[in-house]
Amino acid sequence: MLPLRSLFFSLIVLFVYSGYVQASTFESSTDQVKAQLIASVDAVHPGEEILVGVQERIIPHWHTYWINPGDSGLPTTIDYVLPTGSTVGGIQWPTPSRIILGPVTNYGYENEVILLSKLKVPDDIQTGSAFPIQAKVKWLVCDEICIPQKVDLALTLPVVLPSIASGNGSPLIKTAQTTLPTTSPWPYSIVKSENTLAIKVTDTQFKNSNIKNVWFYPEKWGKIVHNAEQPWKISGDTLELHLKSGDEPLATDENLSGILTLTIDGPNGSVTQGYQLAAPAIAIPTIGEIDTKAPDLVLSSALLLALLGGIVLNLMPCVFPVLSIKAIALIKHANHDPLENKLHGLAYTLGILVSFALLGTILIILKAGGAQIGWGFQFQSPLFVLGVAYLMFTVGLSLSGVFSIGVSVMGIGSSLANRSGYSGSFFTGVLATVVATPCTAPFMGAALGFALTQPPAILLAVFLSLGFGLALPYLTLSQWPSLQRRLPKPGVWMDRLKQGLAFPMYAAAVWLVWVLAQQAGINAVAIALGGMVVIAFSAWLYESTKTGIKSIQRSGAGVAGISLWLALIGSYLGIDTSPAAPISNVETSNTFEAYSPARLNELRAEGKPVFLNLTAAWCISCLVNEKVALSQESVIQAFNQADVTYLKGDWTNRDDEITQLLAEFGRSGVPLYVYYPGKNSALKSPIVLPQVLTPDLVIRTIKPSLMREKEV
Amino acid sequence: MFLHRFYPLTLLSLILSFLAITAVNAEPVIDKPAPLFTGTAADGSTINLADLHGKTVILEWTNHECPFVVKHYESGNIPNLQKQAVAQGIVWLQVITSAPGKEGNVTGEVAQKLNAHRGATPTNTLLDGNGSIGKLYRATNTPQFFIIDPKGVLIYKGGIDSIPSADQSDIGKAENYISAALADIAAGRKIANAVTKPYGCSVKYAS
Repeated sequence: MLPLRSLFFSLIVLFVYSGYVQASTFESSTDQVKAQLIASVDAVHPGEEILVGVQERIIPHWHTYWINPGDSGLPTTIDYVLPTGSTVGGIQWPTPSRIILGPVTNYGYENEVILLSKLKVPDDIQTGSAFPIQAKVKWLVCDEICIPQKVDLALTLPVVLPSIASGNGSPLIKTAQTTLPTTSPWPYSIVKSENTLAIKVTDTQFKNSNIKNVWFYPEKWGKIVHNAEQPWKISGDTLELHLKSGDEPLATDENLSGILTLTIDGPNGSVTQGYQLAAPAIAIPTIGEIDTKAPDLVLSSALLLALLGGIVLNLMPCVFPVLSIKAIALIKHANHDPLENKLHGLAYTLGILVSFALLGTILIILKAGGAQIGWGFQFQSPLFVLGVAYLMFTVGLSLSGVFSIGVSVMGIGSSLANRSGYSGSFFTGVLATVVATPCTAPFMGAALGFALTQPPAILLAVFLSLGFGLALPYLTLSQWPSLQRRLPKPGVWMDRLKQGLAFPMYAAAVWLVWVLAQQAGINAVAIALGGMVVIAFSAWLYESTKTGIKSIQRSGAGVAGISLWLALIGSYLGIDTSPAAPISNVETSNTFEAYSPARLNELRAEGKPVFLNLTAAWCISCLVNEKVALSQESVIQAFNQADVTYLKGDWTNRDDEITQLLAEFGRSGVPLYVYYPGKNSALKSPIVLPQVLTPDLVIRTIKPSLMREKEV
Repeated sequence: MFLHRFYPLTLLSLILSFLAITAVNAEPVIDKPAPLFTGTAADGSTINLADLHGKTVILEWTNHECPFVVKHYESGNIPNLQKQAVAQGIVWLQVITSAPGKEGNVTGEVAQKLNAHRGATPTNTLLDGNGSIGKLYRATNTPQFFIIDPKGVLIYKGGIDSIPSADQSDIGKAENYISAALADIAAGRKIANAVTKPYGCSVKYAS
């Protein structure tokens, strides 16, 4: 049966394809489509504008196509041949419907369609003469198979004096006009983000109307994915429809045009009405776009910024102790062979550079895999947070003198002659990198954000520059013995300083446990603290058995090692890393609301000013900014006065929506502060605030726009 | 002695564990690895895209009964492109995704005869009656093309030329995207028009 059927259709294809149906009447038919040429008048006046059109009546299950046929197919074309001096406009396309064949979505017409065009009769045409209209019509008609067809239609109208009525023409013209989309009676906006477009239409009646279905038909191919779902919702007065960007996404300043259809349930069944939309998408200008204009300049300043940032990192509370240890070691051995000091400096630098190269490579691989990542993303893993907490605690213990490895810890006074001394320096570099990561974000946000949007080579260059900056102070110190001699003389103060420096490390560990609590719950805190007790025990046992006889030494180290492993494995198994477990620490309070893309879009569609704060519990500078600026009474008051909605997004845990928003601003990590001016403001685009906030700065950002809004 | 090495290593391995979480890219996206597939060819052999690493591969979705495919085969357009590509050392694979009972569904033997009859010389023809390769590449049209570079990265997706019509007379007037792509590949350039609009009949998936 089936081969026969397909043979039958092949014959039709061959037949129709080889010989188009020729006709020269107002009506012409193929096996699938009956076409007729119609006009809005029975006679024409010189200089008059009339409507002409082609009606296609299509047999059941077959269809012809809209101007954008969707995933396949071709739109109907009408080529009018007219007396000289006549002009004809484009086709006025009626609202199409969707024809879905498996994963292929087409836009077209079933049963019947009338394609109208405006026609201007020449002014100089003789009354009493004939006005011939010829239309060469081509369409592709498909059910499961497709047949291209062509007909020639003709219609001749008499040219009459203006005093003589031109008649009513074909009644089909009026029918056709009811199928055309109307211009949208409502205000609407289109908002573009990386992979989606959102259409927002506002009307007070939406919430009471019985909207059953919403669909957007794009006029051009590639702007959206035709067969993707178009989720929609009504919140308040706003109808919001989400579209997935297609293969040829909307360019900057390019209009998204098409037909929005609403299907409304009424007393006589459901009615679908189409509304013509055309507007450029509101896109948030990204730093990335600016970068592409002057990549060299930005690259060099990113490298410089990274280098300076790296140097500043040495002063951070988490890095300073590590660096101090190195510096103290240097003071102790200032009188040793300068070559050895130099080699230590180089080993330390190498350790840092290798670690940064490794981090950069991991980011490159993650990026190539299509993952949404940003700087500081490591801290979104509770296991990583716990690992760093343990590390901070352990370093603290060794600074306090609870234990030391070999002669001492991390290369302090380690015998400079032996090789492990150099590897000690190397790993001190690695350690410095690891402890520096929580502090990189605040200083390095801009440079690392830039790096993450760049090709791998540039990304690595920025990372290595940052690493070199981190290594630079110690490296300089180690390379110039004259500088070493200017350092204070060694003495007991060095031990006291070292012990004192343990406390920032303990504080860092406490903070990390607090972060962990928000990511993995209260049980994780117990596990973390228990783990620390075991680590402290292991360290003490190791240290106190170290000076005994060999067997005690061995069993002490053995027991210490085993309990350490147990602590780590226990923590690994005990921490719930499932993404469902973490709870957001941002809950709507009376001063701020929790961020969601929908809420932001809604506020912006309403034209309300918005202050957006993207933060994370593990981001120290975020917390500082919130404390010293955003929670200040003066700032809260300014927000209230200017009717600014304060939205807070929490990136403590992995959140792709926030990562995407950060990327729109060319950032790869928090904090990010953005002020979106209201619609009455003279400012049109959002303002990105610096990563270090003061109350004054926030108020000044909001207030000028507030004043301008009042003037308008 | 081992402790101060152990900690950084634990941390680095923790970071490395992030690598394991990343998902494989399953959509055909330009400059991203092309989705991998294994399929049965018209000559009965099995084709695994991964085995073609090191060669440029062109996937051509086709359906010999589709008028748009007929346009480009009767005119000699696609057979010429195939000859040129194969001469350039490119692997040209036709893909027939038409489901059993639908237009264009053929056996391997018929597919080979059709090609012989049309003077078409693709490297091979993939029989994708269950639509798995078609859905993997989100193929919607016949004809439609995907080009994968020797590293397995997708470098082109789209149509054959710039004038969507079923008229052979338009071929000469149109910008031929595939011959432009072949020229770019031969010159070692990046394909200028990497994404174009495909036009033609819908791919006849099983409903």
